[in-house]
Amino acid sequence: MALSILLWIIIAFLAIIVIMFVFYYNRFVVLGNRIDNSLAQIDVQLKKRADLVPNLISSIKGYVKHEKGVITEVTNARKAMLSGKTLPERAKAGSELQTALKSIFALAENYPQLRANENFLQLQQELSAIEDKIAYTRQFYNDSILSYNNSVESFPGVMFAKIYGKTEKPSLEIAPEERAVPKVDF
Amino acid sequence: MTERLSFHEEIQKNKLKSIFLIVIIFIFFIGLGYIIAKVMDTSYFFLIMIIAIIFSLGYVLLSYYNSDKIALLSVNAKPASQTEHRALFHAVESMSLASGLPMPKVYIMNSEQINAFASGRDPQHAVICVTTGMLNKLNKQELEGVIAHEMSHIANYDIRFMTLTAVLVGMVSIIAQLFLRNIWIAKSDGDNKKGNAILLIIALVAAILAPLAVKLISLAISRKREFTADATGVKFVRSPTGLKSALQKIRDEHVSRQDLQRYPKAVAPLFIGDPYKKKFQDVFSTHPDVNERIRRLSQM
Repeated sequence: MALSILLWIIIAFLAIIVIMFVFYYNRFVVLGNRIDNSLAQIDVQLKKRADLVPNLISSIKGYVKHEKGVITEVTNARKAMLSGKTLPERAKAGSELQTALKSIFALAENYPQLRANENFLQLQQELSAIEDKIAYTRQFYNDSILSYNNSVESFPGVMFAKIYGKTEKPSLEIAPEERAVPKVDF
Repeated sequence: MTERLSFHEEIQKNKLKSIFLIVIIFIFFIGLGYIIAKVMDTSYFFLIMIIAIIFSLGYVLLSYYNSDKIALLSVNAKPASQTEHRALFHAVESMSLASGLPMPKVYIMNSEQINAFASGRDPQHAVICVTTGMLNKLNKQELEGVIAHEMSHIANYDIRFMTLTAVLVGMVSIIAQLFLRNIWIAKSDGDNKKGNAILLIIALVAAILAPLAVKLISLAISRKREFTADATGVKFVRSPTGLKSALQKIRDEHVSRQDLQRYPKAVAPLFIGDPYKKKFQDVFSTHPDVNERIRRLSQM
């Protein structure tokens, strides 16, 4: 009688251990995937921004003839972004591209006709929305890193992390994007 | 993110409540079938019971998979257009990125007041519906604040339980009211004494049930749930300013009597702001006091 109770306790104990192994394995996988996914999302937005640049340039070319410098700056930043090998590289070029784009938008203030151009305004809004989205995705990336690292470092996760060979993930240095302040003048 | 994981308990609770609700409604319909079978000829008892079981099973399954569509249909919402409603799509996409949830489907309903709701059975099948008034009256920041609030309802699985309650209990209250009306018809013909007595009992039960059903709906969207969604929403945007100013606009706007008719009673609790603009709080209030929500947001 006592033996069978003991047996049951051992079985229950083993079952709990197995469940914990499965739980932590899945947890690390889910949290790890979340990080990868958020990085992929940043890339998607950077790509979208780069895709809009040629349209923007062709929409302003007719208006700003004497400001070649700014346009070359934008084109170069875009090239650098597209040729970037790693995400931090691309993100860095991407934020430079955004700065260059900002100087184009500042320039546009001097061209009333351009400011009245439907196509230009639309591109401006799209680009500022992309800026927001990159900022939000970065935020989610940082949160994901934090929750992954928390689960790897805190007890009892730390034991399973050792067994599965999971270590703390370093946070990538991704160039920050300022979230656009809503414009009031149009 | 770490905080979102602690919402795990909240999500489990919502899932459990949904199952509980479905079981209750299922039992309700079978019980109804049983009473009808008793009143009618007893030789058909088994046939009627089988029909009742099939009906309630079908009804519950249909509601589970289509509650979002029923909610959208009841307010006559149309899918938003990618080209026409750019600002709205930007706001929803931003919030889906900030929360790490899949992009929900976006709908628009015709109404002059600022309002919005989220629905669906899980984050993979979620919808967000906003009013035309909201698109016209809110700026980008406020729009993001409101969408973040709705996104939190999706993240916490509020939508499943809230919409199921609205659809399932809403239907029960309609049936209850039908019975209430039948009590007069039953009185006028005196042939079937036994049937009358039972109908009378059903009618009495229905009379108690109808207000209870409304109460259930309002309980489903407890005040706590709205406060939680406000707080989670702020975490997504990292600033309470947008939602706060949107709630202030919701509080201060005046809407025509006509506009109120666009909001069926059963789905009204799903919305971010009380569509009927009730000024005072009581036990039947479907929404928490707006001023209290604004006050809490100011402290964040």
